[in-house]
Amino acid sequence: MRIAHKTEKSGEGKDCRNILSLHCKLCAQSAHIKKFNPEEMRLAHDDLRSFLAAIRKSGDLVSVDQEVDWDQELSGIGRLGCERNGPAFLFNNIKDYSPGWRIAANPIATWRRMAVAFGLPADTHVRELYDVYAEREQKPVAPVLAKDGPCKEVRIAGDKANLFDLPIPMVHEGDGGRYLGTWDLVVSRDARSDWVNWGMYRFMIHNERLLTGFPRPTSHLGKMLLDGYVPQKRTMPIAIAIGCDCLSHLAAAATFRIAGNEADLAGGLRGKPVELVKCETSDLYVPASAEIVIEAEVYPDRVNQEGPYGEYPGYRSGEMGNAICARVTAITHRRDPILTLDTTGFMDSSATSTSISGAIAIRRRLEASGVPVTAVYVPPEGGVHLAIVAVRKGGAEVAQKVVNTLTVRRALISKIIVVDEDVDVFNVSAVLHAFATKCHPGRGIHVVRYEGRANTLTPAYDQEERAARSGASVALDATWPPEWPRDGTPVRATLDSMYSPEVQRRVLERWSALGLGK
Amino acid sequence: MAKEFETFARDSARLLSGQEVVMTLRDLSPGRTKYRGINVRAVVSRPPRPGEPTLWIRSVVGNRDPQPCSVRIVEELPESFEGIPYSDFFEAMQRAERR
Repeated sequence: MRIAHKTEKSGEGKDCRNILSLHCKLCAQSAHIKKFNPEEMRLAHDDLRSFLAAIRKSGDLVSVDQEVDWDQELSGIGRLGCERNGPAFLFNNIKDYSPGWRIAANPIATWRRMAVAFGLPADTHVRELYDVYAEREQKPVAPVLAKDGPCKEVRIAGDKANLFDLPIPMVHEGDGGRYLGTWDLVVSRDARSDWVNWGMYRFMIHNERLLTGFPRPTSHLGKMLLDGYVPQKRTMPIAIAIGCDCLSHLAAAATFRIAGNEADLAGGLRGKPVELVKCETSDLYVPASAEIVIEAEVYPDRVNQEGPYGEYPGYRSGEMGNAICARVTAITHRRDPILTLDTTGFMDSSATSTSISGAIAIRRRLEASGVPVTAVYVPPEGGVHLAIVAVRKGGAEVAQKVVNTLTVRRALISKIIVVDEDVDVFNVSAVLHAFATKCHPGRGIHVVRYEGRANTLTPAYDQEERAARSGASVALDATWPPEWPRDGTPVRATLDSMYSPEVQRRVLERWSALGLGK
Repeated sequence: MAKEFETFARDSARLLSGQEVVMTLRDLSPGRTKYRGINVRAVVSRPPRPGEPTLWIRSVVGNRDPQPCSVRIVEELPESFEGIPYSDFFEAMQRAERR
């Protein structure tokens, strides 16, 4: 396959052959690149540092220069920030570590910071962010290779590598250990094809060079490992990139198709290609602008303790002891590196990132299945367990089809509220009203049960269900039955439904004249 | 300051049997290496025995048993256990214990 190399002198793309499954920007993807709005391309951030500068400017970053403890204290500050819809934090002075090490907490845990990551004004509405993501996702841009990059400024060989030299935080009291991969981008390659996966997976440190991690067995990395490397008893190289540009992390966290290359998606979201550099100890490639890269090999035949960990659903659910084990082969990093941290839990960065990519993936799957979907929202408050789906025509058959479609391969979302299209899915109050009043408590509940593909992090499951990966999803039908005659269907008592257009117009004019806003 | 460790248990009765058991300990000594893991064969005592490091037992959801124990390390084991990825870690430890 082909890949575009960035030459040192010109910086322009040049065709060449490479072993990676990446497309050539001069052929298959070139048309997409030309379609991009130059303004959008100018606004995309090349690295974490330019993003942090932008959110500092928008008032969404607080720098902390006083010494803060890596052992729970700085994570607690970040946690409170999430719970209060507060700012991101840049900790510049970390106990036990030299001033050269910094930690950035919760890069895009709010829609404001997500908007800045997209190069948009911080006050952009979430609906528009969804639209921008959906549009850019359709225009993938292949990465380019560079010979060198900032992430190579400091290189530490495996025998010198010591994970305790990094200020890896203890995120929550009672976690199984210190977590390195809370906001990361883990690169792996399929053993039997050219598929390169980027994912966001948690990793815990055991000792100086040993990591354990929990990419779920149903994750793309888990599938690569179990299907390709374990049967051959081969170690699987991985690279854990930390502190890349935010949209690359967003792509890594995205719900994306099997065999899809998230590097292309990241390029699409950025409006320009991601620059990649080769790892020191494997043929994997990582974003050149990464702050820190941990190269490692996953054992095909070793296990160790991993977890428990306070996870994105907002709980520590007892999932532990079913993980992977990896040994560090090299560490590279920028000078004065910034370790990124998601203080995982209620309303964390994964809540917003999965909200946006998950909702759009859900919409596309429902469209492909013939569901008359008009909008989808995954509210961050739902801990990536709740989706709101609006449809042109509802009813029991449609609700059942929605839940069937969304549980075919793996079932991360367990509650789906189906509403009529006149309900704004982004208005959670309106959705709650529709659910409370229109969902029939007997006929409106559509449950699907499954084995082997449930979300083991779902707090509602008991330990046996977690071990068997068995669970259930439910569609809560808050639509009017299509067979009900119009004259017998209740009318919503809101201004936009129970008043004539003329009265609505006069009310809105009077509202404005009273100085109450538009 | 006396050395302290913590461990995570699915079944704390197994640890408190008075027999040698295999477990992973997290070293709670302050400093950069706090929470470093070691795999050991050890004997746990409750109430704690004088002169032995303190051991705190946590559940699989991370809750700490308020009753302290002590631990006597008999042997330090390799840094990982045999087992295919995603296989049960507690069972892997019990297999190592039988060897």
